Amino acid sequence: MNADSTNPENKSKDETKKPEDAPKKLDLQNLDLSVEKVEERISPSETNVFDK
Amino acid sequence: MSDFPITLIFPPQAHFTQPYMGLACLKAWLQEHGFDDVEQVDASVQSYDHFLSADYLRWAVRRAEARGDLEQLATKDELPFADMDTFRTAAEVAVSGHVLAERVEGAKAVLRGQDFFDPAKYVPAARTLFHSLRIVSAAWAPTKLTPHNFTMAYSIDRSNEVLAATRDEDQNPYLDYFRTELLPAIVKRNPRVLGMSIIYGSQLIPALTLGRLVKEALPDCHITAGGGFLAYIGEKILKAPALSESLDSIVFHEGEKPLEELCRAVREGTDFKHIASLGYFTKNDQGETVGIKNIGGHPISLNEAPMPDFDGTPFDSYFSPEVVLAYDVNRGCYYGECSFCTLPTVIGPGYRTRAAETIAGHVKAMREKYGFSNFNFITDCLPPGMIRELPEELISQGSDIKWWCDARVEPRAYTKQGAERLYESGCRKLLFGFETAVPRLLKLMKKGQTPKRTLEVANNCNDAGISVTFYAMVGFPSETREEARETLAMLQENAAGTIGPNGKSGPLREVSLQTFHVDEVAEVFRDPTTYGVELLPDPAADLQLYHDFNANAGMSQLEASEMFDEIMAGLRQSLPLFHEDTFFYFTQKSHYFLHLASGHSPDEFIEHCKRRGVARQDELARTASGDALLDLEVVPLTGTCAIPFSYAEVTRRLAHPLARAARPDFLTGTYIPDLELRAAEGIGPVPSNPQKKLVLAYSPGSTEFVELSKDGEAVLDALRDSGSYGKLLQALGQPGGPERERLDHFVLGLHRAGLLFVPEHQLTAL
Ligand code: SF4
Repeated sequence: MNADSTNPENKSKDETKKPEDAPKKLDLQNLDLSVEKVEERISPSETNVFDK
Repeated sequence: MSDFPITLIFPPQAHFTQPYMGLACLKAWLQEHGFDDVEQVDASVQSYDHFLSADYLRWAVRRAEARGDLEQLATKDELPFADMDTFRTAAEVAVSGHVLAERVEGAKAVLRGQDFFDPAKYVPAARTLFHSLRIVSAAWAPTKLTPHNFTMAYSIDRSNEVLAATRDEDQNPYLDYFRTELLPAIVKRNPRVLGMSIIYGSQLIPALTLGRLVKEALPDCHITAGGGFLAYIGEKILKAPALSESLDSIVFHEGEKPLEELCRAVREGTDFKHIASLGYFTKNDQGETVGIKNIGGHPISLNEAPMPDFDGTPFDSYFSPEVVLAYDVNRGCYYGECSFCTLPTVIGPGYRTRAAETIAGHVKAMREKYGFSNFNFITDCLPPGMIRELPEELISQGSDIKWWCDARVEPRAYTKQGAERLYESGCRKLLFGFETAVPRLLKLMKKGQTPKRTLEVANNCNDAGISVTFYAMVGFPSETREEARETLAMLQENAAGTIGPNGKSGPLREVSLQTFHVDEVAEVFRDPTTYGVELLPDPAADLQLYHDFNANAGMSQLEASEMFDEIMAGLRQSLPLFHEDTFFYFTQKSHYFLHLASGHSPDEFIEHCKRRGVARQDELARTASGDALLDLEVVPLTGTCAIPFSYAEVTRRLAHPLARAARPDFLTGTYIPDLELRAAEGIGPVPSNPQKKLVLAYSPGSTEFVELSKDGEAVLDALRDSGSYGKLLQALGQPGGPERERLDHFVLGLHRAGLLFVPEHQLTAL
């Protein structure tokens, strides 16, 4: 992975596509369309309240 | 230029929302006693500011990605526990690193400006900073820097590990930071004495790192350190001569007098033998380095101590729109009986206070000098007389401030009228030690209070408009699960917004929950049998402050930490301030208080936060009803990245109590032996899922991590390419029937997860 491979602007690195082709590739019947929002993991125990 | 420059440093890591007071007290004292060139540096906030910058994050992404963790892990069939954190971090870097670099400066500007007061702006900004620190941490993995903690793979209760940590070029972010940012300025100034204030365990490694670098660069500079944390472990440091690489001396308890005498001794070249409350390294007759601790000195007369001098504090660097100045009204605790508490001993023997008149005069002068009218009174608690006198003085001297502080339950002082007067004097928040609802435990704790009286005090304060926080404790020796649940029930019944039998809403706004720990100053440590505990010594832990123990009755330490989670989950449901993202205001010191100080009542503040949720619900309802569905667009800069394992599943496993226990404990900064192995056995590996082809997405608008399938990513890409959902449907030839239904359902899911937005609303955009 090069340093920029995750930059959303550069995302098309390994799957270059022309915008107008994109929708046609969707096989609407067989798509796996799950969405999972991952619970925030900021720990409630991590609060500095003590400081004198 | 002065012939005796002194530099006082507050080392990383500590909270970044308001200045620290201790250095300002020392600076003022030294100046009054013949040392006119005293500089103070908050290296903690300055390092956060440096790390949380676009350039640094871009560099951190490059450094983290160069390790190639994600590619290496992708070759595995399953992800063992030991690799889970590496995977999660690498996935986050890949999907959010660049986006966060784009957003981080804007997020800091929100917290520092008037947008702070708009929850729709504040919450994503706070989350952006939390997430950005994960990118910083990734660069130095397995080191973790959060807004509230700094831990490395080294235990801070072992001198050899601490020393190794100060030299670890690969994992210690402060070596590089100090060398490039702080050290050049120190070398240029060439101080004769450099003093560091260490109040948290999380500062130990960074402080000793800095001490070592300065000693190498300026061999003639005397390096000393003091502060609350060293009051506990200073003597142990003196018994670890290797640490003399980083420190020359340690100031115990209250720093003013010993630091003054130390500076004088350094200036005059005299020895340190007679400086009370000082410990130092020296050579014995055999030429070996040894530590010596002098006898303790008398406390200073606090009322005669000067007003803290914050000159030179980088006020603009704090992540708050307004500075909250700290001011010490008293030192020690007038009560001082509670069997779990060692706070009063940290500052030295006895209780002493400034007069109410002095306090009011000082805060007025500080307000006029610095232009800030918000104060955090540093005190363990105010005695009854002061609770009555202070408001009168603040009002009669026209102090015109808003303030908050810790408090002890004093029913005769926190009466209805007393609370009203406190409010009039600017008091907006008080934190009381409630601890537990169980009378048996209160007695063992020697709290000298009953839940009934505590609630009475809380109601009086709440009725007067003062926000009430309770400190509560879980895991006190012999406490059972049932008793802990009794405490939770009482806290929930008295939560603000929960209507009690009297038809009134409860008084409680926040709870600061702590797990019980045995430190060496505590009565429980001196007299374990009375409390039914057997201490578990750890001879290798030569800097040990907290001791593990077996309890003869009640919950074990691990059970108490599980109970911590249970109580916290209950509180997050019951306390409006703890709901969802509103919780950020609680976790960021003084941030909720700043809303109160700006004129919001506690109830208005909650309503204000709810409006963000309501607006969001309205938007979701509009798209769900089909109204704005076709307008939905992908939030700009939303990134995606293929992942070999389920990020959601790994995150769930890492939230397991065993996994959390295997990390260094938040309070103690230590690792519990063998827990890594136990966690690996108890938690089990996550299988890879090549068929499903998972993708992680991160939206800079909602600042959420979302897991999709490769198919979902394709739809997201198509949505982005088309411009909006309406246009995508057009491009697809307006599909109908079940296909359209599935697409609608998915698009609504993406909207709920924060990856899509209705442009006219701009609600989810930072
Ligand atoms: S818990 Fe509070 S009241 Fe009790 S000894 Fe400690 S500081 Fe004093």
